[in-house]
Amino acid sequence: MNATRRQVLMFAGGSAVGVMFTPAPWRLITDTALWSENWPGIPAPPRGEIHTRFTNCSICTAGCAVRARCVGDQPVELAGVAGHPISRGALCPFGIVGHHLPYIPARLKEGPVGQAAAAIAGGLAKCGPAEFVVTLDLQPGRTASWTYRRAMGALKNGRYIAPSVDAQVAVDLSKARTVLSFGVPVLDGWGTPGIVNAARAGFRLIQIDAVESRTASMADRWFRVRPNSEEVLAAALAGRISPAQAADATGLAVAEIAALAQELEQGGPVLVLGSSQLESTVGTVVARHETPVPGEWKKSAPVTDLASLPDRSVRVLLIDESMPGGYLQWSAIARKLVADNPVVVTFAASPEGYARHANYALPVAVYPEVSGDVPPAIDSVASTFRIASPLVSPPSGMVNPESFIATAAGLSTGDTLRERADAIHKSARGAVFTYADGQSQPLKDMKPDDFWKVLNAGGCWIDEPGAQTAAKLTFGTAARPPEEESDLPLAIVVARETASGIPLLSKVYRESNLRLAPGYVALNPACGLEDGSQAIFETLLGKATVGVTLDSGIPPGVAQVSATPALLDLCAAGARAKVVRS
Amino acid sequence: MTSANKPIRAARYGMTIDLDRCNGCGACMLACAVENNVPPAHEAATDRKGLTWLRVYKVDNGEAYPGRRTAFVPVMCQHCGNETPCVHVCPQQAVDIDPATGVVGEMPQRCLGCRYCMAACPYHARYFNWWDPAWPLGMEKMLNPGVTPRMRGVVEKCNFCHGRWHAAKEAAAAAGKPDTPVEYTPACVEACPTGAIHFGDLNDPGSTVAKEAAEPGSFRLLEKLNTQPKVYYRSQKEWVRQVASAPRPSAAKEKDRG
Repeated sequence: MNATRRQVLMFAGGSAVGVMFTPAPWRLITDTALWSENWPGIPAPPRGEIHTRFTNCSICTAGCAVRARCVGDQPVELAGVAGHPISRGALCPFGIVGHHLPYIPARLKEGPVGQAAAAIAGGLAKCGPAEFVVTLDLQPGRTASWTYRRAMGALKNGRYIAPSVDAQVAVDLSKARTVLSFGVPVLDGWGTPGIVNAARAGFRLIQIDAVESRTASMADRWFRVRPNSEEVLAAALAGRISPAQAADATGLAVAEIAALAQELEQGGPVLVLGSSQLESTVGTVVARHETPVPGEWKKSAPVTDLASLPDRSVRVLLIDESMPGGYLQWSAIARKLVADNPVVVTFAASPEGYARHANYALPVAVYPEVSGDVPPAIDSVASTFRIASPLVSPPSGMVNPESFIATAAGLSTGDTLRERADAIHKSARGAVFTYADGQSQPLKDMKPDDFWKVLNAGGCWIDEPGAQTAAKLTFGTAARPPEEESDLPLAIVVARETASGIPLLSKVYRESNLRLAPGYVALNPACGLEDGSQAIFETLLGKATVGVTLDSGIPPGVAQVSATPALLDLCAAGARAKVVRS
Repeated sequence: MTSANKPIRAARYGMTIDLDRCNGCGACMLACAVENNVPPAHEAATDRKGLTWLRVYKVDNGEAYPGRRTAFVPVMCQHCGNETPCVHVCPQQAVDIDPATGVVGEMPQRCLGCRYCMAACPYHARYFNWWDPAWPLGMEKMLNPGVTPRMRGVVEKCNFCHGRWHAAKEAAAAAGKPDTPVEYTPACVEACPTGAIHFGDLNDPGSTVAKEAAEPGSFRLLEKLNTQPKVYYRSQKEWVRQVASAPRPSAAKEKDRG
C-alpha cells in the first residue's frame, strides 16, 4: 500500500484527536499529580510500632489525664483518659496540642548558665541586711515550689513569692445552683474542663463581664458592666452601697441590679467567683486537706506576696516561668529591685516573658519533656498528686530550675518527687486511679514502689474530699481598683489565653477568627481602624505595636487585649489606653 | 459466593452537633489538624486562605446589647447524600462517595487544583492548599502515620477521619467481621470537651446520632438545597436555627468589615 503524504497527515491528525477521547492523556495528568505527591518538600510521617502511653498535662493546674498515641518514642496524638474521676476524658484545646509545645518557634535553646550561677553567687555575697534574695514562682503548689521555699528558707534573706493562690481552697461546682462570676472565664480555661462540663447542667451561670467573652456568650445571663466596675456591683449586691450608686458606676439599670439581688437570694446555694466583696454559700467552697510532704520540708520560707517587700530591696531575683501560670506585671517587680546592679535570672522556654527584662534567661524543658507534678485544680474538692511524666526527651542544654536554685542556695536535694510520693504513701489516705486499666484502689493497699510506678506510668492519687467551708474566692481577678485618671479613651479588658506560641494554634486565631491572636487588640468596628491593620497601643506605662481585630461584641470605648507578656506589662489594673494608626 | 459479590450492609456515617453545648473552644479544630496532618498556618495565611478542615464560626443574632447573643457553629464537609455538588463538578473524579460509608472522599493525588468543587460547595467546607505543607524543624516527627500530608495545589476537606475508619475496618477484618459497618470515633468527636458532637451510623436506628437527628430541634445547614447533608445540628434557640439557613455562618463578621 502506498500512503500519500496527505493520508499520513490525516492519520496523524485523526490519531491526535482520537486519543483525546481515550483515558490515556487524562491518566497521564493524574499520574503527573501522583508524582507531585512525592515532592521532596512533603514531609513523610514516621513509621514504627504504635503504642499508648499515659501522663498528666502540666500546661495548667487542671492537670488533665492524657492518653498519648505514640509511634516509637514520639507522641503523635493526645486525648483525654475516659473514666478519669476528675478530668473525665476531656482536654482543652491547648492540651490537645500540648505535645507541640517543644516546637514553639521562639524557643530558648541555650543560655549563659555559668555566668548566671556566678552572678547569683556574687549577688548573694553582696546582699545587705535589708536586701533580699527572692524566688518568684509563677505556678505555686508543686513539689518544685516546696524546693524553692526550702532553698529560700536556707538563705538568711530568702523570700518565696507566688501569685496569691490558696492551694487548700477549692470550689465544689456540683453543690452550686447558681454561679455568679465576676469576669472569671468559668467555661473557658478557668477550671478543669471535665468537672465544669459535668456540673454545667446543674447550675445557673450569671456572668458579669464588660465584653461578651466566651463564658458570657454561653452564660444563662450576662450583665455587661462598664470595665473595672465589677467590684462596685458586688458591693451593691453585698448591701454596702445603694443600687443607685452601683447603677451609676456599672451602667446597669437600678431595676436590673435589684432583680439580680433577688435572683441570688432565691437561687442558692450561690458560688461567687472573682469578687472579694461577696461570700459564697456554705457548701460550695471546700477546704482541702494538704497534700502530704516530708516533715523536714515544713522548715521552709513562707509564701509571701510581692507587695509585702519594700521597694528597692531585692538584690537577687530568680523567676521560674517554666510552667505557664500567673503573670506579675514587670513594673511592679522592677520597683522592688535594688538600684545598683540587681541580678535577675529567669528560667523560661521563650524569650517573650520576663526574659525581656532579665540579666540572664536560662532555657528549660517544657511539657511533655519534663517530669514534675501538677498542683491540685481549683475545682477539685480533694487534693491530688499527679506527675507529668515525660513523653519525649528534652534537647541538650536545658536547665532544671529546681536543682539550679537549690544548688545556688546550698540546699542538697534528692529525688523530691519520690520523697513526696513516699510521704503521701505514708499518710495511707485516699485512692489511686490507674489510667491504663481505669481502676481505682485504696492507697493503703499499695506498696510504695507500686505507687511510684503507677504515678509515673499514668496515675493519680486522689485524697479524701475536704471539709465544706465558706470563703471569698478572687481567682482570676485581683481586686479591681477604680480606673486611673487619664484622658486616654479606651478601658482595657484582658482576654485570657494560655500556651500561646504553639504553631498549630494558628488554626484558631489566624486561619479563623475564633480567638484573639497574640499581640492583637480587639476593638469595636466603629473605632475607625481596619480589621487586620497594625496600630500603636499606648497606655501611661508605654506603647507597643499591635494588630487590630474588629469585633462587634466589643463595646465602643473598650479595648480587649490579648494576654501576652509584652501587652500585660502595659496594662496595670484599671489602666486606660488609646489605639492609633501606626 | 465470592467476596466480590457478597452483599455488604452499607453504613451512612453522620454527625450531630449540639450548638447549645458548643462553647467555641476550638479543641475540635485542633484535634482535626493533629489527626489529619494539617500544617500550621503559612506566614501569609489569613482566615480566607487558611486550611481548616473543620472551622468553628462565631455567629450572633445581630442585635445590640442586651439582646445580643452569640453561638458557635462548627462547620466541616457536610457529606451531602443527594446530588453532591463537589462530586458533580470535579473534572478529575477526585471526589467520590463511598457506597459502604456514605462518606464523601477526596483523593488529593487526582486533584488538579481547579477549585470547581470549592465554588460548588454551598457550605464553604473545602480548602485549597496554597502552600507546601511545612512544620517547624523537628515537628515532622509528630505527624500521624495514618494520614499522608497533601501537596501544594490541591483541595482538602473533612473525610470523617478516614484513617481512623480504616484502622477500625482492619481491626474488624482481623476479628472476622470484614463486611459489617464499624464503630469508630473521629478526632473532633473525641476531643470535644463538652460532648457536643456525636458520631455514628445514621442507618442504625438504635444509634445516638440516628435518634438525635430525628429529634424536633434537629436541622441541617441550607436544607432548602436538598443536598441531604449527613451533619445534623441541634439548638433550642430559634435564631440559631435561622442563621443556619444563611449562605455562610460568618456573614455577620464580613458585614462588620464592610
